[in-house]
Amino acid sequence: MRDARDLLERQARWQKGRKALSWPEKIRLVEGVRESARTWRATAAQPDDHRTSRSRED
Amino acid sequence: MRDAGVVLDYALFGAIAQMRYTEAVVTIDVAVLVSIPPRESLDLLGDIYSFCAARGWQPEGEAIRVGPWPVRFVAASSALTTEAMERADTADFDGVPLRVVRADYLGVIALSVGRAKNFARILALLESGSVTEEAIERLAALHGLTEAWQRFRTRFLDA
Repeated sequence: MRDARDLLERQARWQKGRKALSWPEKIRLVEGVRESARTWRATAAQPDDHRTSRSRED
Repeated sequence: MRDAGVVLDYALFGAIAQMRYTEAVVTIDVAVLVSIPPRESLDLLGDIYSFCAARGWQPEGEAIRVGPWPVRFVAASSALTTEAMERADTADFDGVPLRVVRADYLGVIALSVGRAKNFARILALLESGSVTEEAIERLAALHGLTEAWQRFRTRFLDA
């Protein structure tokens, strides 16, 4: 039980820390995982990608 | 690019802009709203591509690779996106001033697109306290998105 509470507390601290990052720091954090995300998305989009080319104003 | 007259104005939007207000979110590119000088060609982004090519920045899918990031240029083509760009904040990025779309406009642009990840963006912005439901509602009404906002609110906020 104690281990679970420690784990949750660590998780909460980590999440708070992430939120407290500056804007450039957040972008650098994301830059580090961008290639993995791109590979994953490319894989997930195949082989039956039926999406249309609708607006990407996101 | 603005100094060279290739674009009249610009502002970052999408996930990169969202991160000014919320926790970090994964994204694979940088989205930039641009306004382009009037031109006869239908190829609105042609001058941007030429400008970038002259600097060795090559196309990559729908984007142009600038350093480590693919940058996706989107012409501001609606009243909403034009206004979002014109009213953008100037934010500091390690000493470099960058124009960034405000949280209320990010929320309403997300509402106008209406995919799941866009709805998640609105919820993240609201949760961060960077924008209120009332502010989004007002702006949505100004851009004919009252019905979309009501549907969003019923689905995600009133439940």
